[in-house]
Amino acid sequence: MSQKINLRVWLKIPDAEAATVKNTLIRRLGYGSILADVKKERLFSFEVDGGDPLELAKSFAKELVNENKESHKVYVDALEYEEDYVPVKVALHIEDGEAISIRERLRRRLGFSNVVDVENATVWKLYFKTLRPEAQIAAREIAEKLLINPHKDSYEILSH
Amino acid sequence: MKIAVLQFPGTNCEFETLVAVKAVGMDGEIFRWNREAGELSSFDGFILPGGFSYQDRLRAGAIAAKEPVLAALKDEAGKGKPIIGICNGFQILVEAGLLPGRPEACAPDKSIDMALAQNVMVSKGKIVRRGYYCDWVHLRHEAPARRSSGSFAIERGALLKIPIAHGEGNLVTATPGLIKELNENDQVVFRYCDKNGRIIDEFPYNVNGSTESIAAICNEPGNVLGMMPHPERAFFAWQLPAFDPRKQRPDEPGPGRRVFESMKRYIEVRA
Repeated sequence: MSQKINLRVWLKIPDAEAATVKNTLIRRLGYGSILADVKKERLFSFEVDGGDPLELAKSFAKELVNENKESHKVYVDALEYEEDYVPVKVALHIEDGEAISIRERLRRRLGFSNVVDVENATVWKLYFKTLRPEAQIAAREIAEKLLINPHKDSYEILSH
Repeated sequence: MKIAVLQFPGTNCEFETLVAVKAVGMDGEIFRWNREAGELSSFDGFILPGGFSYQDRLRAGAIAAKEPVLAALKDEAGKGKPIIGICNGFQILVEAGLLPGRPEACAPDKSIDMALAQNVMVSKGKIVRRGYYCDWVHLRHEAPARRSSGSFAIERGALLKIPIAHGEGNLVTATPGLIKELNENDQVVFRYCDKNGRIIDEFPYNVNGSTESIAAICNEPGNVLGMMPHPERAFFAWQLPAFDPRKQRPDEPGPGRRVFESMKRYIEVRA
């Protein structure tokens, strides 16, 4: 039976890309009154067939996470985000060359033959000053206005 | 005849682009992104040069496209002035909705019409490479002369050897029928080809996986042109690679010069 390993990875040093996105949203797109902060994470999802998922997750993290600058968290057959922000997952809907490369590297070069599939996404963590229903609407708007280009990306608000 | 070469934080081809502008006899200056956007109206033409505006954060061109100068540039485009986006400039024009510039997609609350996605090089059905790539490529001019501002003086079928250097030049669109429309309107200006001008939709000829090997497109009126290759890096013959015999004749013009000469001619004819 296949299992899904989710690996959340974020920078522990300042994230300049998140800062630029925050600046653009506040200074150029007028979200200053409701948006408090923007952070960013990466999300790798591995579908594996057999093997101890926690052991596998440890090995994958060793390959994909640079502990000098990044932190990570592992979930097996689950994925959770904290309550204080709206997580917006952005991924390519066209062929994701990076995800394919990671899958092939794990399978062929590193010998993890039980890796069936790898998905790769960015999760934007939008911290709002307003309450949830309003924040969800604003998060959709922000995703469509800035975070995605609909011709290559799709997004999903990860609800709790 | 005064050209504004726009500079964003992270742009890195503005100076050689300005040299090219001046070398064909146009006047020009570097226009910083945070200058009063209204001052753009005193210029006769605009070039968005290559580089990595805002370090390609989020997506190439996505952040620069939200700057006030781009809103002002839309007004200038509406007046029919020539705008050429090179490499990152093309990405910015696409993200700002100026290319392909269909009126439906230009309204501020509307979505854009295409994306320049991450390069994916495919050969014989397999991904052989992805990501940033730089090389000398051959381009075939697909539109008739006088169709676009940046290829105004270039005949249909002409071949140009010009370098590319980018990580996100893979033109994709989810808009149904858009590619057909671009083809029918002669809005596909350049395609990647081999040295004899044959279009081979595979790496290494199609260098980035772009739909139908498209390297450059223009808007419907033809004044706004976006191209991934860098004509300013092939402006003089001495810039050509060592194995090209033309390199030994340094006084000759390089193939990229024709793009800048076209822009000049376009402004002269419009005046």
